[in-house]
Amino acid sequence: MDSGVPQNAGYLIAAYILVPTILIAYAVSLYRRSQRP
Amino acid sequence: MTIAQKGRWLVIVGLVLLGGVYVRALAFTPVERFQGPAQKIFYVHVPSAVTTELAVILLGLAGVFYLFLKDPRLDRFAESSAEVGTVFAGIVLTTGPIWGKPIWGTWWTWDARLTSTLFLFFLLMGYQVLRGAITDDGLRARYSAVLGSCAVVLVGFIHLSVYLFPTLHPQPIVLKPSKPSLPPEMLVTLLLSFGVFLLLFTGFVMQRYAIATRRAEAFHG
Amino acid sequence: MRELWRQAWTIARKDLTLEFRSRTAIVSALVFTALVLTVFNFGRDPTAVSTLDLAPSILWVTFTFAAMLALNRAFQLELENQALEGLLISPLDRRSLYWGKLLANLAFVVVVEAVGLPLFVLFFNVAVGHVLLPLLAVIALATVGFVAVGTLFSAMVVRTRFAELLLPVVLFPFLLLPLTYAVQATARLLAGRPLSEVAGWLRLLAAYDIVFVAVASWLFPYTVEE
Repeated sequence: MDSGVPQNAGYLIAAYILVPTILIAYAVSLYRRSQRP
Repeated sequence: MTIAQKGRWLVIVGLVLLGGVYVRALAFTPVERFQGPAQKIFYVHVPSAVTTELAVILLGLAGVFYLFLKDPRLDRFAESSAEVGTVFAGIVLTTGPIWGKPIWGTWWTWDARLTSTLFLFFLLMGYQVLRGAITDDGLRARYSAVLGSCAVVLVGFIHLSVYLFPTLHPQPIVLKPSKPSLPPEMLVTLLLSFGVFLLLFTGFVMQRYAIATRRAEAFHG
Repeated sequence: MRELWRQAWTIARKDLTLEFRSRTAIVSALVFTALVLTVFNFGRDPTAVSTLDLAPSILWVTFTFAAMLALNRAFQLELENQALEGLLISPLDRRSLYWGKLLANLAFVVVVEAVGLPLFVLFFNVAVGHVLLPLLAVIALATVGFVAVGTLFSAMVVRTRFAELLLPVVLFPFLLLPLTYAVQATARLLAGRPLSEVAGWLRLLAAYDIVFVAVASWLFPYTVEE
């Protein structure tokens, strides 16, 4: 039996980078919009 | 501190704690044997989905209260919840395919969570498009409240129909994230992540609410 | 209570009289339905997929578009000449305005469906005779679901810019649910499944109707108050 676990860490890394990117991008957007007069 | 500043702090703390969740998910939570490391996307995907639904429910309830109380602050809150909800919906709809591709071989599946989040996304879009088309503040608040009320009833109806009509084959549109029985370490990681996403949601809504308040004050002098 | 119904009926009758006197709207809707059915015919490869597999989808997508078309013009009548203000100043109860509009819209959509269904049977050679009564029940229930929410939203949308674009965007999520139930029920009916399998979907449709007619009629006055 193949005891190897699937090697798909690449997808995990992609997702784990994507999420904070979206969150930070939105946070920056909110900050910039709050600074406009 | 102003609401906006408090909100920013909450978001900063939330992002730091998200890092903590990452550490826990990567180093201290077991790898799922059949799905492999990619399964850990679950820890950001599921809390985002729950947060999206929370956002819709909150904007709906705010709408219902607005119809009775006519308080514009409720409308500003609803507006904020909608926008923030859309961001979290975006997270669900992007992490979903990234998770799905290695696990199921396709980028998109009509599973319960993705389908219902897509559905919520359309509700949020419709809500914001309607708001964008009305210039008068009072009218916009009232119409948004009507639409939001319908939205929250719809979400409630979907949940209830699972209990009232259990013999029917579960349709993809049903919003019941039937949690598989998780090993305790996974459950803890998931719950921690829920907390972090809730924190982020709150921080974002506070900031967005502050922007809405400033806009209203500027408009009315 | 009786007064409410009398008023609603008056409004409905007014709408329907105007509608069928000019006939433009109803004829356009009927032609549109026939066109959509024709598009579906050219949009498929009959050798690849059996008609029976596609039939429920074809029928319900057609009916959904027809309902949308009908609802788009629901408050157009009042928009001209500020007739809506006239209605509101009158001693009519706001709720009866909703019920009247609902009845008128239902009548309009039912007429379109009454022509659409036989056309569908004709174009796609679908046998519905043996399940006609349950099928009509599904159509009736789903239509009420579409029109109940659609009447409420069209009242809001009519006062915005881009009303025709806005209504589908706002309304479609609410149509997806009765649409799903209707397609599930129709598919089982056309496939000759026992009625017990269809009953659950009918109950869901009925529940949706009851909930949303109630909610929409309660919310409607908020869309027209000043």
